[in-house]
Amino acid sequence: MTAPLLSVQSASKRFVGLLAVDSVSFDVSAGEMVSIIGPNGAGKTTLFNLLTGQLQPSGGTVRLRGQVVNRLGPHRRARLGMGRTFQIAKPLTRLTVLENVLVGAFMKHRGLRAAEGKAVEVLAEVGLLDRARHSAGELTLSERRRLEVARALALDPEIILLDEVMAGLNPSEVDAAIELYRRLNAQGLTFLVIEHNLKVVRAFAERVIVLDHGVLIAEGSAETILATPAVIEAYIGRQRA
Amino acid sequence: MPSGARVAGGFLGGMLLVLLPMLLALGDPYWLDIVTFAYLMAGLAGAWNIIGGFGGQFSLGHGVFFGIGAYLTAILYTEAGWSPWITLAPAMLLAVLVALLISWPTFRLRGPFFAIATMAFNQVAFVLVNYLDWPTNGPRGILIPFRAGLANMIFVQRWRYAVLMFGFLALVTGIAVLLRRSRLGYALLALREDEDAARAAGINVLAAKLEGMAISAALTAVGGALFAMYLRYVDPPTVFSLSDIGVRFALLSLIGGIGTVAGPILGAALVVPVENWLRSTLTGLWPGADLVVLGAAMVLAALFLKHGIVGAAADLMGRRTRR
Repeated sequence: MTAPLLSVQSASKRFVGLLAVDSVSFDVSAGEMVSIIGPNGAGKTTLFNLLTGQLQPSGGTVRLRGQVVNRLGPHRRARLGMGRTFQIAKPLTRLTVLENVLVGAFMKHRGLRAAEGKAVEVLAEVGLLDRARHSAGELTLSERRRLEVARALALDPEIILLDEVMAGLNPSEVDAAIELYRRLNAQGLTFLVIEHNLKVVRAFAERVIVLDHGVLIAEGSAETILATPAVIEAYIGRQRA
Repeated sequence: MPSGARVAGGFLGGMLLVLLPMLLALGDPYWLDIVTFAYLMAGLAGAWNIIGGFGGQFSLGHGVFFGIGAYLTAILYTEAGWSPWITLAPAMLLAVLVALLISWPTFRLRGPFFAIATMAFNQVAFVLVNYLDWPTNGPRGILIPFRAGLANMIFVQRWRYAVLMFGFLALVTGIAVLLRRSRLGYALLALREDEDAARAAGINVLAAKLEGMAISAALTAVGGALFAMYLRYVDPPTVFSLSDIGVRFALLSLIGGIGTVAGPILGAALVVPVENWLRSTLTGLWPGADLVVLGAAMVLAALFLKHGIVGAAADLMGRRTRR
């Protein structure tokens, strides 16, 4: 059996007195779409930051294609094929949309012409090509989210970690976004997603991981997980209350 | 994105335009001196702009690299008889070394804290050079004897200095143009906007800052060396003056348009002649009045020209095309 694309083994993160992520283990295989759900403060974004290298884990290991990446900084992991978006989109506002993507494209393509070619290709993929010459600060929220994905795609990633990319979008924008991610997935790209919108989770992910108070409390297919009493109590039940 | 040929054409056209004031001033030693000094300051502001503008690292410590270039050249020329053309190499090398030593701790600081920390290094350099009798000759400074000759970078005809400074400005601008379209240039622009986003795009933020700082410091040292040979005198208060040197590079870039290739040139083209004119007309009336007027002008520029001359011009053009 080949090693899973992303493998997390008892990853933990302690902030002084708070165990934000408590010994979480799971694997993501190539080509999968996996959602992480959980109430606010469950440790989802902290877990993401451990995976991408923004934070150093207090314990445990993160492997990318079998290689331990614990000690690698975020830029090294990005170059190794782990793309990410941010919960609050971070466009490079004073650069054009094309330049935003060019920044990442330069990592895999030497020379301006080659990098530009890659950036244009990626912008066409996410549907931002007509905005290429606009400054990134002018983009709408949903366009900013697409730009984040485009910037990640410019490095030819194998897996992209999406942090709540649907928040604040209207229903038609959500549908368009789901379609984009499904299309990229069909091309072989793996997704690990933090998502609050359960409708999106149902439509989107094959597998769901549930975090609560930093602990992985359930893992399985979307239908079974969303029907599990512990999940309903930890997440859905509390929201309805 | 403009093609390489168009960018090269723009660069050459711009440089020809920059050359024009020198040709006009050839017969007038007073104006020739102003143009010469404006070229030097424009080149120095352009060098600062590489890390300060493109990279957004607001260094107020570039006087240190300037001082290294000026002093090392003055010392090696007067004590060891090295040609100033040769001393450029060790000056750049030492400036890069010191730049990396200063940057290593200070790049962890952001915004105003970085600016203050780098400014402190400028003052440390001043005190050190002022205190040391060897090799900097302390507060007495170093006088460079007049021995004309190309190898000595000392000229009888003043226009040759103008050509020299123009060459320096063209070199700095050419490097800035190339950098602006390179991988390192885009890395600097990206990290200026958002360091976390830059990292997510695969950029080694610290390495890119250090590379940008090294290029910037090396070019600043060259400018310092040219300054020393032009004035033929270096002393601590001149070389390490914050208002005339260390902060001046940043100021010219700000007024012209920070982070743009043309900004530092426009800033120097505006400020250096105006400053000279104010000094010559107002100092006789009331000593220091020129500085008061200049300071007021800079406050106005900070208030109303937030993106410098380049930004204001772009706004005007944009408004016209939208109509």
